[in-house]
Amino acid sequence: MKATFHGGVHPAHSSKHATSSLPVRDFVSDTVQLVMNMNIGAPSAPCVKKGDHVLMGQVIGEPVGPLGVPVHASVSGEVVSVEPLPYLGEVPPMCVTIRNDFQDEWVELNPLGSVEKVDPALIIPAIKAAGITGMGGASFPTHVKLSLRPDQKCDYIIANGAECETHLTCDHRLMLEHSVRVVDGLRAAMRALNVKEGIIAIEDNKPDAIEAMTAAAKDRTGVRVQVLKTKYPQGGEKQLIEAVTGRQVPSGGLPIQCGCVVLNVATCAAIADAVIDGRPLVTRLCTVTGHVRQPANLRLRIGTITNDIIGECGGYEDEPGKIFFGGAMTGLCLPNDTMPTSKSTGGIVVFSKAEARSMEEGPCIRCGKCSEVCPMGLNPYMIKAAADADDLEKAKKLNVMDCTVCGSCSFICPARRWLTASFKIAKSNIMQQAKKAKEAAAK
Amino acid sequence: MEQKKSLGRIFMNGILTENPTFRLVLGCCPTMAVTTSAINGAGMGLAATFVLLFSNMVISAMRKVIPDKVRIPSFIVIICTFVTIVQLVLQAYVPSLYDSLGVFIPLIVVNCIILGRAEAFASKNPVVDSAVDGLGMGLGFTLSLTLIGCIRELIGSGSIFGIDLLGAAYQPMLLCILPAGGFLIFGLLLGIINFVGSRRRKAA
Amino acid sequence: MSLILSTAPHIRTPHSTQRLMGNVLISLLPCVAAGIYFFGWAAALVLAVSTASAVLAEFVWQKLTHKTVRINDLSAAVTGLLIGLVVTPKAPWWMVMIASFFAIIIVKQLFGGLGDNFLNPALTARAVLLASWPAIMTTHVTPVDAVTSATPLAGYSATTMDLLLGKVPGAIGETCKIAILIGLAYLLITRTIRWEIPVFVVGSAAVMSLLLGMDVLTTVLSGGLLFGAVYMATDYVTSPMKRWSTLVYSIGVGVMIVLIRKFGAYPEGVTYAIMLMNICAPLFDRMFPDRKLYGHKKEAKA
Repeated sequence: MKATFHGGVHPAHSSKHATSSLPVRDFVSDTVQLVMNMNIGAPSAPCVKKGDHVLMGQVIGEPVGPLGVPVHASVSGEVVSVEPLPYLGEVPPMCVTIRNDFQDEWVELNPLGSVEKVDPALIIPAIKAAGITGMGGASFPTHVKLSLRPDQKCDYIIANGAECETHLTCDHRLMLEHSVRVVDGLRAAMRALNVKEGIIAIEDNKPDAIEAMTAAAKDRTGVRVQVLKTKYPQGGEKQLIEAVTGRQVPSGGLPIQCGCVVLNVATCAAIADAVIDGRPLVTRLCTVTGHVRQPANLRLRIGTITNDIIGECGGYEDEPGKIFFGGAMTGLCLPNDTMPTSKSTGGIVVFSKAEARSMEEGPCIRCGKCSEVCPMGLNPYMIKAAADADDLEKAKKLNVMDCTVCGSCSFICPARRWLTASFKIAKSNIMQQAKKAKEAAAK
Repeated sequence: MEQKKSLGRIFMNGILTENPTFRLVLGCCPTMAVTTSAINGAGMGLAATFVLLFSNMVISAMRKVIPDKVRIPSFIVIICTFVTIVQLVLQAYVPSLYDSLGVFIPLIVVNCIILGRAEAFASKNPVVDSAVDGLGMGLGFTLSLTLIGCIRELIGSGSIFGIDLLGAAYQPMLLCILPAGGFLIFGLLLGIINFVGSRRRKAA
Repeated sequence: MSLILSTAPHIRTPHSTQRLMGNVLISLLPCVAAGIYFFGWAAALVLAVSTASAVLAEFVWQKLTHKTVRINDLSAAVTGLLIGLVVTPKAPWWMVMIASFFAIIIVKQLFGGLGDNFLNPALTARAVLLASWPAIMTTHVTPVDAVTSATPLAGYSATTMDLLLGKVPGAIGETCKIAILIGLAYLLITRTIRWEIPVFVVGSAAVMSLLLGMDVLTTVLSGGLLFGAVYMATDYVTSPMKRWSTLVYSIGVGVMIVLIRKFGAYPEGVTYAIMLMNICAPLFDRMFPDRKLYGHKKEAKA
């Protein structure tokens, strides 16, 4: 049976056709720029200086704070600079620029061997040392996700292979080309948490991936493949849990509170690399598509500069109008094409000028489609009215904080209203308010 | 005590600044019901003006002797007296108007403009001021009702004060002399007056 | 290189307001064709005047009030065409024009424009015409031979086939049921409207007429019931937004239509039934709880 959730939309799935059948190929450029804020939480502290020679996999950024993860050199070569770089957030993070010597000299690795035989207690430290963060986009440190409090119990680990976003096909290719690694990673996580059931969830628009993963999961203890209906946001953590287990993450809570942990398939593969080979996270798969001459699925060194990647894909088809990291439903826009990729960059999509044209917001015609598609069961049109009136209290009462910013409502709105955008702003305003109130209370 | 106002100002207050129909939105029941023609509106307005003038004067004169606790019943009794006078006079001299206004003449007793002015003005001010206030308010009411009546009669019957203005070819829009049309015209006039008012305030 | 920066999502559904309204216009074409076929060029003139003056009214109003001119969203054109289709082919041009102006300016724009009107503009305009010029509005002509007569609801006898084809006196777009059904099919295929409202309006009217001992087929096929159920009751702006409230609303419309026809002073009740339920729509939306929220336990709502 195909599992699914309530609501959802069907955005341009044909956008995947350009790259879904293209095998992954390697791409190495002569410079990489590694920003230090690739994880949620405090940015890492650079621990190399200009002129240093670094080896591939060498730690160049030390973890800071409870959510810290290390950053590793993704090429061997010379550190050209260590300075702040304007990046996607407001504050420019520190960035280590390395000139590649194309030797790919690795630091000494510490492989643990087969995931079925390794001591489970060593798995989470290995994940931490490898600098793994959620590779689906949220960049949450994986070792933190897997470190349960004693009162928490995990019943299911779900490997998220839904890839419901538009344009992206790198998870699809990963499942086809590295099926065993994905299962290995899932098994490693299961063993680390002593979980009996591991589920690989894949949308039914990838029958070849379903077949490959089913074959890879055969004979592996407790691992099975769950086919999902093709619908956005099927791969959203909360929707995936609902679809696969029928459970719901409590409002404001974390998946573990309903006994689930969700890991992206790319994260699973990275875990397998970390455990079996002792290799830190220095490469990742990335789909480059849209208005480029030769769309491709590439294995990139983390920190590869967008411009170089576009060059590898034959350049722009004509003048680009918009470039974003990720799929079209949640992707982050780039101000220019000199930005480097990070651990969570699963796609680079280029839009032409015509595609990028922003649409004028019309008046709400009360069609109710936004409420119908909201996977969280919210009433976006009502929240929008409250948000437009700057009535944060009302927005809160309408549960704006439950909004996962999936973009379904904005997508479906016939009046082209910027629903998701205003919820994003309302959410951050509410959080700032709460922070201020907390600070005031502390005084 | 509020500051002493000039009589002219008190008079204009009722006609413009605090026009009972369009600014205070009081006495809507007769406003809707009787303004199907200009003559009905004017008749109703004048009847109310008469009552308002004399009840204001009497209440003002007696304001020191009426005990506070029973002032409302006392006001009503005074108002009733004048309403009865109006009713009898109308019945005697203009029976056609009396017939078309019907139940709304006795209902002047509970017209909130009259009780409202008694309570808000006459019971606190001297006789002359109260008389001028009653006259101003009454005329404001009369003018408003006549205006609404004119518009409704013109569109709904093609005439004003019974004089055919638009010719025989005009197909009257019956809606305007139906209750729904009364609400519509009243609402539109209110809207226009508020719009002009806010424009003025912005300009000032 | 200048890149556009915006928040996600970067793609939008092609089903814009304009496309939805365009779908309604296209779905009305069979009714327009049937109206012109049965009632001749007089009907074509009425339709042209009503549509043009509605669009003109919207344009002028938005210009005068310095608002963005939104006649491109086609909502005014839909309103105008609907007005033309629900009046008698005998309607003089000035009457049609007043109806369109009234619908656009008083019913729609004065309350805030598209999305903020609480009554269906086209229906309200028709109600205004009915109240203002009842004699003209209830003068119907028999199609083809153009003889003035009563409608089937007011005693004109017609066969079921006549009713279905539209060979009966009535409003321009309301008589030919086949054309309306073709339009309905188009609206459903393009997913412009949901099936619930038309089906439950017609269904509840049928059941109600059965209970009251009326002829079910005549009830459903006569007057503006089918047209109202498909084009008027389904207006996004004035119908409820939730599934359950939509159900109550539709049944309310169907039941009211039959009650007005049977016990009311008017032979036809579609206009008033839908207007009544338009007013109730927001109340119905309040009465029924929201879709279940994700991640919230069943808590007693205060």
